[in-house]
Amino acid sequence: MRFSEASGRKVVSTSTAETVGRIEEFVIDPRSHSVVALELKRTDTGDTLRWSDIVAFGVDAVTVTAADKISDAGPDIQTLTGKAHRVLGKRVLSTRGDELGRVADVEFDPETAAITAFQLDSGDVEGVRLIGIGSYAVVVHAMD
Amino acid sequence: MSRLMRTSEVAKRPVVTLAGEDVAQVKDVVYAASGGAVGGFTLAGRGLFAGPLKLSLAWTSVGALGSDAVMIRDEDVLEPTQAVLDASAATGGSGGNVIGSRVLTDAGLDLGEVVDVVIEVGDDPGGPCDVVGYEIAASGEHLMVPASAKDFVVNDLAGFGAAVAEFRAQLEGTA
Repeated sequence: MRFSEASGRKVVSTSTAETVGRIEEFVIDPRSHSVVALELKRTDTGDTLRWSDIVAFGVDAVTVTAADKISDAGPDIQTLTGKAHRVLGKRVLSTRGDELGRVADVEFDPETAAITAFQLDSGDVEGVRLIGIGSYAVVVHAMD
Repeated sequence: MSRLMRTSEVAKRPVVTLAGEDVAQVKDVVYAASGGAVGGFTLAGRGLFAGPLKLSLAWTSVGALGSDAVMIRDEDVLEPTQAVLDASAATGGSGGNVIGSRVLTDAGLDLGEVVDVVIEVGDDPGGPCDVVGYEIAASGEHLMVPASAKDFVVNDLAGFGAAVAEFRAQLEGTA
């Protein structure tokens, strides 16, 4: 699944069958090459939904057991959020110091949360090559 | 594959950590080994109004020198500028500013003035970064001269790689 498809998707509580939020951003942990949380439009309880609290990432909706699973970002999530840690549109540098392109979209596995690929204008970069995401660039391992 | 670069292209190149932060940009090249190798870089801050930094980057701390960025592990590898200058001076330093120097042949012919320095960057992180030649301006024309060679003068960077290889082969043959 791609970020562009999943962005804006509704989050539904399985206990009340109500829409409790909408996906705004994805929070990526470069160390695990995966999505660790979703940033939502602010609700009464907070704006962060941890991946571990998701019941299912479906084609039409993301399901959670209850609305209170959406909470404020903990310190571990906070260090990974903000403009500096977003990837869309950001330049991609290899560890050799060469620019590979800019991130047009990100492909992830809705089952495991793993980032499978960064889609660049110049082609795909495998998610496992990810090293860091900073304010200047997304850094990935160079191909040998 | 090693690659050749002009040091003028390296100036202003961003210094980027593996976490993706641009912590500085290259201000100038510090030469070591009597001008035969790159010892490190002095740095300037990023942004329009940022001045020179008190920290510099030793070549041994450079993860990679690429065509778009200088990669480093993290900000902690930067050292006080004086330490980098001293370490490079201990191996001979550059013996003065290379850019602007006149190039003389052993026969006493003035070839021109150095306008740029050509360095060779290898693939191995931590490997040496040798100065392999100079670009000199001679009577309106730009010539490329392999370091300490006068017989191998070419006028483009593409043909220069072959000249270096040829020159090295000759050096090894006569050593």
